[in-house]
Amino acid sequence: MNQRASIQNRVFQVLITATVAMPLVWMLGVALKPSSEPFSSPAQLWPNSITFDNFLSSWRPEFQTYFLNSLIVSFATVTISVLLGLLGAYGLLRSPRKIRWLVYPALLMGQMVPAASIIIPIFAMVRNLGLIDTHLALILAYIALTLPLSTVMNYAFMRSIPKDVIEAATVDGASTFRIFFQIVLPLSVPAVVATGVWLTVVVWQEFLFALAMTTSQSMRTLPVGLNDFIGQYGIRYGELMATSIVMSVPVVILFLFLQRYFVQGLLSGATKG
Amino acid sequence: MRSLAQSNRRRRLSPFGSSRNRAARAGLLFLAPAVLGVAALVFWPLVQAVWQSMHKTPSGFSSASEFVGFANYIDIVSGNSFFFLIVNSFAWTLFVVVGQNVMGFLFALAFNARWQLSGILRAIIILPWVLPGVVAAVLWRFMYDPQLGLISSVLERLFGPELGRSQFLADTNTALAAVIVAAIWKGFPFAFLIYLAGLQNVDRSQVEAATMDGARFPRIVLSVIIPSMRPVIALTLLLTAIFTFNYFDMIWVMTKGGPLNSTHIFPTFIFQTGFGQFNFEMAAAYGVLAFALLLILLVPYLRHSLKSERDED
Amino acid sequence: MRTRNIRAAALLAVGALALAACTSAASEGEDAGSGSGDTAPPAEQVTITWWDNQQTDSGLSEYQQIAVDRFMAENPDVVVEVETIPYPEYQQRLQLAVQGGNSPTVATVDQIWTAGLAARGNIISLDEYVAASGSVKRDNFFAGAWDSAVVDGQAFGVPFNVDVWQFTFYNEDLLLAADVDPQSLTTWDGLEAAGAALTGDGQFGIGLFGHLGEDTVVVMDSFIFSNEGEVLDSAGKCALNQPASVEALEYLAGLQQYAPAGVLNNSSGEMRELFLNGSLATEFWPALEQPTLQDSDINWGFVAGTAPAGKTPVGTYGGWNLSMFTDATDAERDAAWRFIEFITSPEVNGDVVDLLPANIEAAKAFVEANREGPEVILEHLNNAKPRPLSENYLELSTIQNEMFQSILNGTDAQSAADTACVAIDGL
Repeated sequence: MNQRASIQNRVFQVLITATVAMPLVWMLGVALKPSSEPFSSPAQLWPNSITFDNFLSSWRPEFQTYFLNSLIVSFATVTISVLLGLLGAYGLLRSPRKIRWLVYPALLMGQMVPAASIIIPIFAMVRNLGLIDTHLALILAYIALTLPLSTVMNYAFMRSIPKDVIEAATVDGASTFRIFFQIVLPLSVPAVVATGVWLTVVVWQEFLFALAMTTSQSMRTLPVGLNDFIGQYGIRYGELMATSIVMSVPVVILFLFLQRYFVQGLLSGATKG
Repeated sequence: MRSLAQSNRRRRLSPFGSSRNRAARAGLLFLAPAVLGVAALVFWPLVQAVWQSMHKTPSGFSSASEFVGFANYIDIVSGNSFFFLIVNSFAWTLFVVVGQNVMGFLFALAFNARWQLSGILRAIIILPWVLPGVVAAVLWRFMYDPQLGLISSVLERLFGPELGRSQFLADTNTALAAVIVAAIWKGFPFAFLIYLAGLQNVDRSQVEAATMDGARFPRIVLSVIIPSMRPVIALTLLLTAIFTFNYFDMIWVMTKGGPLNSTHIFPTFIFQTGFGQFNFEMAAAYGVLAFALLLILLVPYLRHSLKSERDED
Repeated sequence: MRTRNIRAAALLAVGALALAACTSAASEGEDAGSGSGDTAPPAEQVTITWWDNQQTDSGLSEYQQIAVDRFMAENPDVVVEVETIPYPEYQQRLQLAVQGGNSPTVATVDQIWTAGLAARGNIISLDEYVAASGSVKRDNFFAGAWDSAVVDGQAFGVPFNVDVWQFTFYNEDLLLAADVDPQSLTTWDGLEAAGAALTGDGQFGIGLFGHLGEDTVVVMDSFIFSNEGEVLDSAGKCALNQPASVEALEYLAGLQQYAPAGVLNNSSGEMRELFLNGSLATEFWPALEQPTLQDSDINWGFVAGTAPAGKTPVGTYGGWNLSMFTDATDAERDAAWRFIEFITSPEVNGDVVDLLPANIEAAKAFVEANREGPEVILEHLNNAKPRPLSENYLELSTIQNEMFQSILNGTDAQSAADTACVAIDGL
């Protein structure tokens, strides 16, 4: 499904992107606005003068700590969760129907519980294990949170793989593991990448568990760290926006690198006939 | 009438029988971490929350709470918040899910064709989703401000000062709609990415065949693309519904559930009752009810989509 | 070939997990040793934890660490671990800590949380400590602030900092241009007239706001108090539907036409932004607003509140108290008490707060040195009343807030107040 885009298509793509990006342009403007310049009413899209002070001050020692924490936790969580999820999805695929009927809803049911309701028992549990304020607690919690999603997402993509491919391989005498590594896995690359990006975004922004698992400032992750800019009666908009932009950069870079896997099509000829 | 090849294939299925059992057992092993994780981190605390919801902390200077059975639940159902919570939660979930998925799907179709700038454009599109929830909410709250916000100033330039000073978040009639729009903007890139990846698995030969039969683009979408993406669409709808129902940040930061409860949904109300008013038993009861509600709404859908898979098998 | 990639990825994942485990172990080791450093601690060293609110949005505060260092220098047998917690998550973290068994030894607690925490047995009564103390006595602190921590006759907190809602800050240039006398802002009629004169053409006269937040409630309360009305009467029954209170509510509803649009979602923060860009003539803020205005280009002045002619403006107390939590040993409590005495003493209190010190002596010195119009501020502080000292205050506040919103939305004030009182009395 990869055609070269026509002229109309290109224009259309640019237009709809621009519409979506309007709030982001405003956000950038706020980040570049010096704090001595008040917000104007009615609002202007771009400030009168620009300063990079907010960006410079956002790279402060606390922020570097938060960034490192987020990096460690996200990296560990996503790699493990994606891998286990892929295996779990394959397991779901080859499981007897009765098991699937039970496990699949159970995995999703876990997502249906409002976070605020379970946060205190989880905090108590983590505390009793002596794991408050450790990276490990957060990583394990995030793996538990994201694994069902990873499993379910990969499963849905695996189901899109035409059955003939798997059956043809089975008939040819391939073992389960060979089918997985040589057929299912290559065809799942878009799914794995989509899931990986998704989990990264989820974990990178996750707030409630990060709040619950940590008390000391040295362990906070980026989303929790953003609260530094929100006071009781006022918000320091410039720094908040600047920090958020800096915070989002790694994920966007990751996405830029992995994008081509989204548009990688099926190997042609795999499903003819 | 059976051909030789077919009877050979049937005979070869028997040795495959035992390897199918091996696959099944391996499958269960692979699933174990996910199931255990959910049990420990979600179901066990849920049980504790149910237990907590059946207590009340009386006044007096102790932290001991007393067992009151279902008293909290009776209070909730006979009170006046339960009704608006259900209505708001339902409207919120429905419109956000539809909005995100339709927008995501259309964007995926538009971006399926590539050129030099596609990559950059796609990266810009996912930015709303990548932004931390609190920041997106603060941003939109500011944008909706009648005096200081971008939306008012654009409306004013287009339609004059009357309409320009519309108070979307302060008006009980428009507040929920305003928050819904913000939530659609925030979350649609997720659906966009999933559908974009899903589009790659659509069989090109079928699309070509349909084109050659003379079908125009909308027809192709409806009769070829969507059917072949059904599992992915079904799952994405389900997931976005679950996330949206429990999505807290957007509404809390933008309106705190107001004005006059017009934007309160279960998660915000639970947070206000528990952390805001220190009444955790009541908050736990609302939480259990919210979970039950979602379960009742979604499990039939889930089972139905699983069943249709079974029919395909 | 693919298998190799899988193995590589698996190794990567295991490595990541191991790295995380090592890092957290290392940082735990760091945290444990941070207080005492490398020297052997003196025998019987006590460690206490102090949680403080990141006090204002005017900057990440270093005040806490300075106070702690001074204290530790003077008291080498005590180690104080400070955690600065931003306001949006403070209530949540306190609750998590209390419910999950991880509470600090001492923490600054918002006045309005004190009663609720006390009623649930999370914080301890300080009467014994106060009786034995030389410096921590009711007379040394602003009466309203002290009383805000008294539950059932016992003191559950020591005031740390205070402020009053509200002072009416005005834009001198705008008032001059409209020929409005700033002192007229102190009377109801004057404020209303000023609103009319100053509103129009994209400019607004009065910074009235009505979102769901405590700032809405304290402003509402101050107008009620200034009219000699009450929220709860002396018997603890709801007094919002009494004539004096209803009058105040009706008056506020009448000011809505001079306020920026979107009242039901506006907060004091938005009012500040509009004041700073010159489109709002008056805003309601506590004394805390002064540093922000001093840094701006606006020519500003302020008056202490508004009351009907012949009555004195009465403000609402806001602020934070120091409370000690139930989960602590006696040694920790004694050490924490010494810390409390230290940071509420006249010499230190002024150096460690960003609001106004709650210690009267320290407050006087502080406002002389750092604030304009110190006599005005002190007088308003002395006249101020606290919010109702009910253990259900947080629920009461929500009901009151919603009542205000419905009045601003057009409901008749008397009937809205009656409905609210039914709910409040039922708590």
